[in-house]
Parts: sequence; C-alpha cells; structure tokens
Amino acid sequence: MAALRLIAQAARRAPRNVQVLRRGYADVSDKIGLSLVLPHQALFTSDEVVQVNIAAATGDMGILANHVPSIEPLRPGVVEVIETGNSQKWFVSGGFATVHPNNKLTINAVEAAPLEDFSLEAIRSNLAEAQKVAAGSGSEEDKMEARIEIDVYEALQHAVSSK
Amino acid sequence: MSSATWRQFFSFNKYSQITARAVRQSLKETERAAAEKRGLTALRYQNWENGKGGEQVYLNPPETPVGKGTPAV
Repeated sequence: MAALRLIAQAARRAPRNVQVLRRGYADVSDKIGLSLVLPHQALFTSDEVVQVNIAAATGDMGILANHVPSIEPLRPGVVEVIETGNSQKWFVSGGFATVHPNNKLTINAVEAAPLEDFSLEAIRSNLAEAQKVAAGSGSEEDKMEARIEIDVYEALQHAVSSK
Repeated sequence: MSSATWRQFFSFNKYSQITARAVRQSLKETERAAAEKRGLTALRYQNWENGKGGEQVYLNPPETPVGKGTPAV
C-alpha cells in the first residue's frame, strides 16, 4: 500500500508535457514571391521560389519564405534563385533587395546576366586594364573609378571561374 | 562596395552606372552588342529664358560632329 502511494505521489510530481512553442521558420513547402527586375527586362515577376541567395553589401544572405522585412543594398555579385528542382545564378552589377511584409521579395538591379554569358578573357583583360589605371598617375576620381571596376571584375572572375 | 570611399567622388547613381558598365564590358561578344546599346545616353538640353531658347548642349558630346544642330521639334 505504501509503495502504491509513493508511486502515485511520484507520478503527480512528474512534470506534465510542456507546451512546445511553434517555431516560426519556413518549411520547404513555403515559398516566397520573387520579382527580379532590371530596367530593360523582368527576369521574375512575383514567381514563387524556395530560396534566394543574394550578395548584400553587408555580407551574403539567403532569403527564405516569411523573411523579416528588410532593405539590403547589393554589391556586385551573384544572385542565386533556388526553385523546387533547379537553381539558377545571375551576376548582378548592383541594386537593392527589398523583403516586403507580405512574403514578397523584390530585387531591383541595374545589370544582370547569367554566368554563362560572361567571357573570362574579357574579364581578365578588363581587370588588368583597371589595375593599370588604379596604380597609374591619373586623377583621384579616375583611380577610384578603376578601383570600383576592380571590385566588379574580381567578383565576376570569382563567380564565373567557380560557377 | 567593399571600399565606400568612392562616396567622396561619386553619387550612388554614378557608382551604379560604373558597375553596370563594367558588367556589360565583360559579356561574351554575342551578348555585348545589345548590351552596349543600353549604356548609351543620348541627351541634348537647352535653357529657355523670356521665350527664347539658349544654346543646345549635348550631355555626351558626339565624337564626330553631327552637322548644323537643328532642334528636333
């Protein structure tokens, strides 16, 4: 009898099931509506995709469904769009990525092209030219312009050669 | 944007145009022709005062002289 009472008391003292908080992360079935637009062409218009990787000025980011609203300036770099089954990459010259509160992502870019459309020789020769100007004796403005171009060409070279 | 020191020389718009031009110049030959057209800015402007138009100024002066400048309209 005493044993039974002991067990009953122990059972009462055992913790009940704690309510598990529902995590607010996206499942793979959740998608985000992407609009990737250039001034001359719309690559995506509110198309549902799983994940978008962008090269933001503050670092690389991956954006999934239900991302917190934010505005990110882009640096010259690769934007990768992952849909169910395939993923594509574009090199973007710069622009802005805006996540809206209604699960939509808008990327405005000035120039963008798929990585296959670039020529490594052109990139290499452009990079060499820009490095010459940056190390040369022109005005500070010209050198700064060359330095910006060096950033772009190095990012391009890295993206195209490692695909 | 690794070195944001360009901000002392350029506006953000100019910076965007520089990076866009760099990207366009790195495309393959086949794509480049169409892309170069996008980089072209052809603009002529003219100040008007008291009903009289001033001199017509090209934003980007053409390399070869176009001939006597007549207003488009």
